[in-house]
Amino acid sequence: MNDNDLKLLQGLQELAADGPRQAPEGVEQRLLGEFHKRLHERRRNRWLGLGTAAIAAGLAVLLWVRTEPAVPAPRMARVGTPASLKAVNQAPTPPPALSLPPAYERGPEVAINFYRLPDADELPPMESATIVRVQLPMSSLRLIGLPVSEDRAAESVQADMLVGQDGLARGVRFVQ
Amino acid sequence: MSNGLTNGDGDLLRAISRGNEAAFLEFYRRYQGSVYRFALQMSGQVEIAEEVTQDVFMVVMGSARKYDPERGSIAAYLYGVARNFVLRRLEQERPYVTTLNDPESEYAGVAAGVPDPLADLTRNERIDSLRRAVLALPPAYREVVVLCDLHELDYAEAATALDCAIGTIRSRLHRARALLTEKMRAEERCAV
Repeated sequence: MNDNDLKLLQGLQELAADGPRQAPEGVEQRLLGEFHKRLHERRRNRWLGLGTAAIAAGLAVLLWVRTEPAVPAPRMARVGTPASLKAVNQAPTPPPALSLPPAYERGPEVAINFYRLPDADELPPMESATIVRVQLPMSSLRLIGLPVSEDRAAESVQADMLVGQDGLARGVRFVQ
Repeated sequence: MSNGLTNGDGDLLRAISRGNEAAFLEFYRRYQGSVYRFALQMSGQVEIAEEVTQDVFMVVMGSARKYDPERGSIAAYLYGVARNFVLRRLEQERPYVTTLNDPESEYAGVAAGVPDPLADLTRNERIDSLRRAVLALPPAYREVVVLCDLHELDYAEAATALDCAIGTIRSRLHRARALLTEKMRAEERCAV
């Protein structure tokens, strides 16, 4: 290391020790203001998420109650006639193909990936999950950051809620 | 700034991600000086240094839990974020970059505030001259000088902060020091 190098390093040490050591006070104040603002938004989003989960859970219970199958009637044994007894030796005929009632003949539906709900990370790990099909207002798409125009915000959209073992929703996917 | 993950940094970051204001304040007070000085030494402008410091800690606020200690120290992470913001600001303000001769600059205030101007004149002139020389370096050389020589980061830490190889840091630092020596000699010749 020659004289010039030494001089330069000494100068750099002086430069390092020179000048302000702290950011101005105002920076801290502005950051604290921003921190409070974000905290407030976060709490609001958490309540929105819990609200959505509660609605989803309520709808799930309603759907479950409505779709509970009726108790089937006990099967009755049929007494065969001689003619039908003869038919036993014939080749069995296949049952007619099941046709879905009109309500089930829907167009192809496309479900996209589940989106994590705001603050789902804060919830305990999911051990089991239930998917609940619900109708949500189009405006709820904003929760996951998708743009929704104001004139369509009131329309409803079909969605699947991913509900954990504790009844709290972790994710949502929208079905087109 | 400490080069490693200081005891408690991990806890502070976890607490920040949960919205703990006291943890954020402690973390800010621990690292703000280094971030601010880095931004000031890189830009030479108080306004940019303030904005960059604010931006860096807003990133911490928003993504504290995303910090991965496996990828480098918290210091390297903060310097890396600060460096990106500084370069962006310098790029935006390129036509308007001011020099340290600006009497409103923070450095100018520090130099003017010395109690015995005559005794410190030579020293201040030398520091100002070197500061100007550092600021005149191309950003790729300036950032290694600021990190390694002014903030005393080792090559590995600087490489993490600047996201490049250790060999690159070594060669850039060598070249940067050569450029600075050349500039200082030229200034001395002009002064004579």
